[in-house]
Amino acid sequence: MAANPTTESGLDLSWLNLYDEPASATPGKKGMTLKEINLGQYGEVARKGGDMTTRLRGVHPRPDAQRFGPNYQSKADVWSENCVMLYEEAVQRQWSSARDIPWDTLQELPDEIERAMCQLCTMLTEVEFIAGDVPGQWMPFVSAQDFEAGLFLMSQIMDEARHTDVFRKRALANGGGLLAQGANLGLRTLIEARDFTEMSVLMHVQAEGFVQSMFRMGELIGQTDAEKRIFRMSAQDESRHLAFGVMHLKYVLDTEPERREEIHHYLDKAEGDASGGGSGDVTFPPVFESLCILLGGGVDKFDEGLQKFLLLRKRQINEYLHRLEVAGLGDRRQRVGPLFAQFVDPV
Amino acid sequence: MSTTEALAKMAAGQSATSVDVPQEARDKARQLGWEDGLIELALSKGHSLQEVWQALRGGVSGEQAKQFLAGGQMVRPEFNWMKVPTEWGVKARASDPELGLAIGDLNIGTYGDIPDTWTNRSEIARGSFPNAIVEDMGYTIFEKAIVWADCIVPRYEEAIRDRWAPATDLRWTSLAPLPEETEKAVCQVMTELSERSYFEGALLSGWLPQISYGYLELKLFLSTVIYDLAKMSEAFRKRALSNGGGLGLQAPTDYMRAAKEARSYPELVAILFVNDSAQLTFFKHGDLFAQNEFERELYALCARDRQRHMDYQVDRLKHFLYKMPERREEQNLYFNKGENRLAKDWSDAIVNEPLALLLGGGRDKMDAGMAKLAEFRKLQIKEYVENLEKATFFRNHLNGRFEDILAN
Repeated sequence: MAANPTTESGLDLSWLNLYDEPASATPGKKGMTLKEINLGQYGEVARKGGDMTTRLRGVHPRPDAQRFGPNYQSKADVWSENCVMLYEEAVQRQWSSARDIPWDTLQELPDEIERAMCQLCTMLTEVEFIAGDVPGQWMPFVSAQDFEAGLFLMSQIMDEARHTDVFRKRALANGGGLLAQGANLGLRTLIEARDFTEMSVLMHVQAEGFVQSMFRMGELIGQTDAEKRIFRMSAQDESRHLAFGVMHLKYVLDTEPERREEIHHYLDKAEGDASGGGSGDVTFPPVFESLCILLGGGVDKFDEGLQKFLLLRKRQINEYLHRLEVAGLGDRRQRVGPLFAQFVDPV
Repeated sequence: MSTTEALAKMAAGQSATSVDVPQEARDKARQLGWEDGLIELALSKGHSLQEVWQALRGGVSGEQAKQFLAGGQMVRPEFNWMKVPTEWGVKARASDPELGLAIGDLNIGTYGDIPDTWTNRSEIARGSFPNAIVEDMGYTIFEKAIVWADCIVPRYEEAIRDRWAPATDLRWTSLAPLPEETEKAVCQVMTELSERSYFEGALLSGWLPQISYGYLELKLFLSTVIYDLAKMSEAFRKRALSNGGGLGLQAPTDYMRAAKEARSYPELVAILFVNDSAQLTFFKHGDLFAQNEFERELYALCARDRQRHMDYQVDRLKHFLYKMPERREEQNLYFNKGENRLAKDWSDAIVNEPLALLLGGGRDKMDAGMAKLAEFRKLQIKEYVENLEKATFFRNHLNGRFEDILAN
């Protein structure tokens, strides 16, 4: 069925009459980015109500369009003010685990160090695997009206695939192998989320924030240039995911302040009732022990490693609280779970 | 601040009385035989809650904890994870220096065993040592025959190697004004392509959590497909908004609804096969529709991406039919549905008129354009049938709508 009755000539041609606002975006300094096409009736500020069809924002609706099942009707449910910029950055900063890591710098390590690195990589490849599934799970619920958020999530899926593969590569490239599966890493909480904002605050802000704090200590954890580069490149990607989550939370709190207690509730569960270590927990013994060995420099320096691990944990918790504060949830500092509270810096 | 100073400051900042011990820690302590008050004793002696927690997670018994707190020797971890019986001594090396260390290079020894049926219901990394008790993560796809194709291992790395950025890899400044109706036709085509790409990316994303870790490489490859589709959607939208036009009318929804309605992965990919193939033909022959060098380059990049997707489609179907011959006839149902709905979309004036205008060279040459489009549709169907045949699938009867296109 055509959208309009057929004309006498047998042609419809109604599609020629839709362009009341000609758009001529011009490339900016960073090329033709989504920012450049965020124009007039096509821009995100012109978003009208939700739409359960596949119609992208700014596209003229078909009267006979079928619905595709429920999705978020409110922009606040999925939006982040920086998603346009973050998506473009993601596209520009894609990297290759095959070619951009100096694998030739890997060198034989003492057995216990190699095992510790392989154990850490076993955990990380597992964590990153879930980090790709989780945004995937939510994509069908992101309205095409907010497609920039969807594009960003699709770029995140690609990032997480690369992280999954790079840590597997490291474990299998230097005379080691994969070791013990992680367990109780707090990953179920991510899959269990029943709301996009719940998922985002647990995955983007908490779990990826913890991983990001750890990657930033990659200079201490990594033993070779290859490992240090893996952590640096991965941290660059995690920064984007984290930034999306922080700004999404901020958008929700700015536009729907009545959701504040609900969000605290999700965090109460993750920090207290679950494993206690939060999502992406690094206190699972094989992970904790391997980190202590890597940070200390060997099994015989485990105690020194333990002290550095505690500093890592402290850094994770305080950076986490700082991010929540930036998002507008500064009162989390007073409500944080007991295993987190011990590390909180005084204001 | 030095590490020691920082830790001293941290320890000074907490006391046993100020720490709220989580219930889970108390439950764990009870399981390990810690007497009531032992946690508080540890805290009062200056140990942090984190250290207590690590001791509990590490399985330190109540007796061991008591002895340590009474001045005994510290309980050392046993590092059991160092002794798990996974394959050790693996040194993967790049088999193709141009491509670098590829995921295919990791498939050595037991790490290359991709089982026909995967039984672990957790997110375990294939080849690592399974934990005895783990939660079910909810995956539903555990059969290799359903999802696998050997080609995805090299295609994953090729997708990363061949990445492109719509913002900077296309010559936006080369775009020059087109006749108004031609520009509108381009914009309508771009609108439809953008919607279909975004929809397919979102749809495939939703299937990722169904696939278990046994088929890791497939999930990695699908991630590149999803990302490719995001990029395509972005690029088509940008083209529509950069040359004096705009976005047109929403694409017809029949075909996309059919894909959305799929109840299983084989049904999903069978339905997607139809349009993936048709789009590949379109992009490969993009010169017929392109109005300038910019569009020719855009279509060529999309063709390269779509070819990888099609390689997967063909290889997966072939592998699936070989492993599950009893499901061969069932596939006809899905292909028939996909063909029917896509042909219905093709018959929509919003879809065929802009293409006819571009093929004909203007509104005044629509008859010639329609004739060329009819021939092009035949080509799309012919190449689709050829793709099916490469997968050893022979459609005795295409859907009637497709048959009609071929007959006219």
